[in-house]
Amino acid sequence: MNATIALAGNPNSGKTTLFNELTGARQHVGNYPGVTVEKKTGTYTINELKVTIVDLPGTYSLTAYSLEEVVARDFLVREKPGVVVNIIDASNLERNLYLTLQFMELGLPVCIALNMMDVAKNRGIKIDINKLSKLLGVPVIATIARNGKGKKELMDAAANINTNRAKTSPLDISYGDDIDNAIAEMEPLISNATFLTQTYPTRWIALKYIENDEQIQALGDSKNPGVSAKLKKITDRVSSHISKTLNTYPEAVIADHRYGHIRSIIRQDVITYQQDQSRLQLSDKIDQVVTNRFAGPLIMVAIIFSLYQFTFS
Amino acid sequence: MQKLGMRQMKKKQSGTITSILADGELGRRIRDMGLVPGTKIQIMGRAPLFDPVALRAMGFTLTLRNNEANYIVVEVEEEK
Repeated sequence: MNATIALAGNPNSGKTTLFNELTGARQHVGNYPGVTVEKKTGTYTINELKVTIVDLPGTYSLTAYSLEEVVARDFLVREKPGVVVNIIDASNLERNLYLTLQFMELGLPVCIALNMMDVAKNRGIKIDINKLSKLLGVPVIATIARNGKGKKELMDAAANINTNRAKTSPLDISYGDDIDNAIAEMEPLISNATFLTQTYPTRWIALKYIENDEQIQALGDSKNPGVSAKLKKITDRVSSHISKTLNTYPEAVIADHRYGHIRSIIRQDVITYQQDQSRLQLSDKIDQVVTNRFAGPLIMVAIIFSLYQFTFS
Repeated sequence: MQKLGMRQMKKKQSGTITSILADGELGRRIRDMGLVPGTKIQIMGRAPLFDPVALRAMGFTLTLRNNEANYIVVEVEEEK
């Protein structure tokens, strides 16, 4: 049996380090068809099961604004990997979970690799892994990609998800009354017309229309202009209502509710800080000196001058 | 309590974001970084020519151009 595991996560969360750790030299670098975003695939064997591991480009969210995001999103919905291993920087949990939430909205089988646990520990951040896993409803495995710690447990958990193939239903959270009502109005329109539903979950299509996602709207226009126009009409109505009553945009309201959901999870004692969070890390301290308004330019001139001396004398 | 655009904030001032006025790509990018209403931020400093501005939120430091910071409205905490 063959399986595909996709590695996804924020930029600089350690995807590629973990990928290299898992696949070693058995990888292949290519391009996604038609775009110049690198596609890296490799193989890994877990108890006779050969899995293909794909390293997706790092993204902060799954919108259609940047090429990387479109590539990552298209891969996830079209190729339907058996498991999405979401690599999370444990020292930046809140921001990283924003992407996780979007994977879950898409109904993807997610397994979280809580990476850089050593860094988080040094910063005095303690994360209750079991609680986080329970509240999110997905397996969470602590890893340190740099030295390969936790990779076996992670792959076991991923293989477990893959073999069980339990149907994961898309995460259903509230985005506030205005948007919830609009989604409820859109859902029957979408499901009755089987509008793009082969590829995407119904609720997600509605959500993307409200978010004004150009890629999905264009896809909808080409597949079924009639339904698409109806959905856009609902979207326009919600947008103008939200801009009148709240003076903001539907996307902003949706983002607020996503972060609200994340905070409601994190506040249940998932994270404990053992030291003051406003304490600066070493790199921040160095920054304070070298980016000082007066010292900064002087240090820069000194470095350039010594480089010059080194090269020419 | 006083509401200010982020551009008007001084170094070391902290506050809570009340609204993000940007839409489209910039608005989304700002939100992706976790700057949503309710997030606590502190201004860490500014570059020699007062742009960009560095701020700290949720345990990480982020740097924004002033014209991006303009879209962020912050309720500033009283100085102690």
